[in-house]
Amino acid sequence: MSEPSDDLERRFRAALPDRDDPECPTADAYWAAAAGELPFERVRTLVDHGATCARCAEAWRILADVRRAAAEARAEVSDPRPLQSLVGDAPARFPMRTRTLLPLALSAMAAVGLWVVLRPPAIRPPPVERGSGNASTVRAESAEVQRAGDAVLRWSEVPGASSYNVTILTPDLVVVHQSVGLSGREFRLPESVRQRAAGTGLLWNVDAVMPDGRTVASPTFELRLGAGP
Amino acid sequence: MTPTRGGDAGSQDPDRDSIERIRQVLIRAVERHCPPALAAHREDLVQMAVLRLLERPRSEGSAPRGASYLWRVAYTVVIDEIRRFRRQQRQTEQLPGDEGGTPGPEVRSELLECLGALQDRRRTAVTLHLQGFRMGEVAAALGWSEKQAENLVYRGLADLRACLEGGNT
Repeated sequence: MSEPSDDLERRFRAALPDRDDPECPTADAYWAAAAGELPFERVRTLVDHGATCARCAEAWRILADVRRAAAEARAEVSDPRPLQSLVGDAPARFPMRTRTLLPLALSAMAAVGLWVVLRPPAIRPPPVERGSGNASTVRAESAEVQRAGDAVLRWSEVPGASSYNVTILTPDLVVVHQSVGLSGREFRLPESVRQRAAGTGLLWNVDAVMPDGRTVASPTFELRLGAGP
Repeated sequence: MTPTRGGDAGSQDPDRDSIERIRQVLIRAVERHCPPALAAHREDLVQMAVLRLLERPRSEGSAPRGASYLWRVAYTVVIDEIRRFRRQQRQTEQLPGDEGGTPGPEVRSELLECLGALQDRRRTAVTLHLQGFRMGEVAAALGWSEKQAENLVYRGLADLRACLEGGNT
């Protein structure tokens, strides 16, 4: 797939203006986009920015390399290589030491068969929810569309959490508000944030802080503010 | 209220081998994708990034801590380091845009205008493809199946070529 568009890739890279844009998204936003953590509209915004800014295009290309290497590293961890190499070597040695190696090869083949049946699912850039991966993921309990005047963010309880941190972002992933150490499970939007969100909507997420210092992070939720006081 | 799609998770503690592997990957990536003037400093840039990575307090950020998290942080710190390096370079040399390599405005506007004219989904898929993402990676980022991504990239590239050819005639 890449060969037919090599010329376009070169032209694309050469065409990007090299400018110093203070509004460039964060590198973490790019990672989140590539990891499938963001809705399409947010990814599109980030990708479009990369098509107007040589430095962010560079960040995207480095991202592709780094994520690929990370995926390879994960795959290696899950790959039972010694078993495979044993099977791979068996045919070459078979004629010379048949009597000793035949049972070994048969055992290895049986083990491979067993592994094929029982192996864990392959590790891929996974559709895993942001968070600890267990059942205590934070869920939004407030409506996605609310009146601007009394917009409140609510979320589900994480058992054992000692406090919650809330982060509110613009659709361009600029952090506009953070509240830490909340004891309750709701947060009323400050006036300044409501004004900033008028007509554009917001993203928000919650980190539940556990007594041992660990945090359980929610996915990112959307909030749209409707007309009204 | 709809949560967005999920991301990466990891399960391993960082170790010296992981850090060294990440360092090598970052050095190669900077060498491959950054302009020569910046790539010449790749060892220093990546070393600074790795130091920052190791200095980060374990309680910083969000769970989980693991291999994927480490790669993610490594990527963000190296991009931050590249940005910081450029800012410093600009301040000391007072030479904006000194890395060169940008073409004339005619070439630039033609390709980017054609890209910008593509339908949203095709433009996003094609742009990621032009940034070096493979089909599975485009699909993962956009929440599509690999077949969908392939279809949109192919169609988008065809549209892009048609637009460029139309502009040249």
